[in-house]
Amino acid sequence: MTIDLKGYGDDASTATLARAPGVRVRDLTVVYRTPLGELPALGGVSLTIEPGTITGIVGESGSGKSTLALSLLNAVQPPGRIASGSVEIDGLGDVVGLAGEELRRARGRHLGYVFQAAQNSLNPLKTVGKQVLDLGRSHGVADPRALLREARALLERMGLDGGRVLDSHQHQLSGGMRQRVGIMLALVLNAHLVILDEPTTALDMITQSTILRIVREVHQERGLTTLMVTHDIGVAAEVTDHLAVMYGGRVVEHGPTMRVLGAPSHPYTQGLIRAIPRLSGDPSEARALPGRPPTLGTLPVGGCVFRERCPERMAVCETVDPPRVTHGERTVACHAVEQAHDRAETAGYGPHRLDTANHRTGREELT
Amino acid sequence: MRLLPARGGTRARTVTRLFAGHLARGLAMIWAVTTVSFVIIRNIPGNPVLGQYETLIQRGMAPDEAQRMTAALYGFMPTGSLWDQYTGYITALLHGDLGQSLSTPGTEVTTLIGAAAQWTVLPVLAGTLLSFLLGVTLGVYAGIKRSGRLGDVLSISGSLLHGVPQYVTGLLMMAIFATLWPIFPAGGPVDVEFVPGFNAGYLASLVHHATLPVLTYALASYGGWVLAMKSSVATVLGDDFILAAELRGMSRGLLFRYVARNAILPLFTILALSLGMLFGGAIFIERIFNYPGLGLLLVNSIGTRDYALMGGTFLVTTIAIIVANIAADLLYAVIDPRVRTGGAA
Repeated sequence: MTIDLKGYGDDASTATLARAPGVRVRDLTVVYRTPLGELPALGGVSLTIEPGTITGIVGESGSGKSTLALSLLNAVQPPGRIASGSVEIDGLGDVVGLAGEELRRARGRHLGYVFQAAQNSLNPLKTVGKQVLDLGRSHGVADPRALLREARALLERMGLDGGRVLDSHQHQLSGGMRQRVGIMLALVLNAHLVILDEPTTALDMITQSTILRIVREVHQERGLTTLMVTHDIGVAAEVTDHLAVMYGGRVVEHGPTMRVLGAPSHPYTQGLIRAIPRLSGDPSEARALPGRPPTLGTLPVGGCVFRERCPERMAVCETVDPPRVTHGERTVACHAVEQAHDRAETAGYGPHRLDTANHRTGREELT
Repeated sequence: MRLLPARGGTRARTVTRLFAGHLARGLAMIWAVTTVSFVIIRNIPGNPVLGQYETLIQRGMAPDEAQRMTAALYGFMPTGSLWDQYTGYITALLHGDLGQSLSTPGTEVTTLIGAAAQWTVLPVLAGTLLSFLLGVTLGVYAGIKRSGRLGDVLSISGSLLHGVPQYVTGLLMMAIFATLWPIFPAGGPVDVEFVPGFNAGYLASLVHHATLPVLTYALASYGGWVLAMKSSVATVLGDDFILAAELRGMSRGLLFRYVARNAILPLFTILALSLGMLFGGAIFIERIFNYPGLGLLLVNSIGTRDYALMGGTFLVTTIAIIVANIAADLLYAVIDPRVRTGGAA
């Protein structure tokens, strides 16, 4: 899993990071300053990402998934700010506490960030190669030629003509090529935690599947911890091994992708799955979630954020924010699931009885 | 004309192709402006040649002789049709002949323009570059710190100075620095007691006299640069690639250069255009400071209905602005790779 770092003249701290880091987000609250006061975009998110996993973060627009991704680099943009909580990353410590030069050096070298393909993430006036060199200069890379070789090798690994791409300007590259350049720039300084924000949005289907294959392969080859933000559950199912479902600035469900999608526990995840039209069977069986997702201003205060749209709504949902409860590999924040689980426990059936809730909704089992 | 070392030939080839197209369009434009200004000038009420001719006849000269005399004095026949005058004018122009001045008989227009140009080009150039450097530098800070007090102060001072007309600035400078505190001379290009040439006294006198006009040029355009640069910086700061570079841990110095270089691009066009205006002469400022430049020459030539001089001054201004336009476009092709290769791939 260790990747060769020598030849860059790295400082010693990199050596301890030369393997996939784990990430522990604890009670992370991010607020945005608005004319109505400070409103929470993330309301106490906790999430543990095991080293070496590819974790998908799915949710509707405004659920806080991009804010969470930026928080991992302590890069929430004003008027937003991290109000409380911590983001522990192996080898870096709590990035919420990092600032100035320390933070800048962590970005790029330890934390790689890949932008949405449609966004122009390159300086339009400079060739890709020159921007690689700028990056090397910013991070005190001792051997710029080795850095360029590494950039070229990465590009070629992703099926591009490395030399040509390094000599190109952004406007000379297609969307798929730009995205591979984005991935190269995230990896070229040997970052081992890579965060991709909607990496395949605005790409055509074929390019999309190429990029996803590359993400998966590079993840394995370089021994990374990868986090991928997407609104496309199909994309998440194809690439990720763990899945975190976000709603209203909270992670409502987290677990192995196949189990979360195959046997969703949280009513919101169930609703999402039910809304996907099936290739086989009657497309009209797909049912949209009623209501609309909350915005910063309409987020209910106190109680469960999902209760307005929830078929399992109970009295306790109005007042008490459901706690995250972990059973085995899965974590869910829902009063209904919790109660069903407790009943199952007391009846002595074991945790698989969790799925009764799903049978009651008439949803077909996917696993 | 080789602007750049050819890399794979594409850059030089594109610039050459651009240049050829611009040259053709530029020549057509110069011809059009020359024609229109010829017609306009000839239609200004008051004809000095006819006036001279009539004066001679009134003095008792025979019409033939008066006509010959006038023609000899002004260098062309006053009797031809407008079309004949036009073809004659254009033919002479093509031979590089702007004709002789009517108000200063016996003097070539080119000589007069050449003598006046030095008093316009150097001070305006100095003023423009001074205000460009100052305005762009402060504009970057106004753009970066636009929510702070420094940004507010810079923006407001920029707007104020931008709103004050040149001649008001000029009169204020004159009132303050030549009358209230007579630190600088009130007018003229140089003190007469010095012998022109490269000697300290003459050069010092030149600079002393040029200070107020140059400062007036600079103050008059400084506000525009600050505002233009500020809004350009604000736009670039919102671009995705700046956030992307920041999230890759780009150093502050390089990040600043990414912002500045991208933000200054659109200003180069404005700079090239305003350098073209150098030859237009700064009419008000030259009048206020009694500076014998192109602006003053133009005003005087209109006053005396000096057709040849008017035509010549207009032509020089036209050519300068068109050349500056072409230069701006070529410059853009050199500094912006997107223009060089013709848009998105």
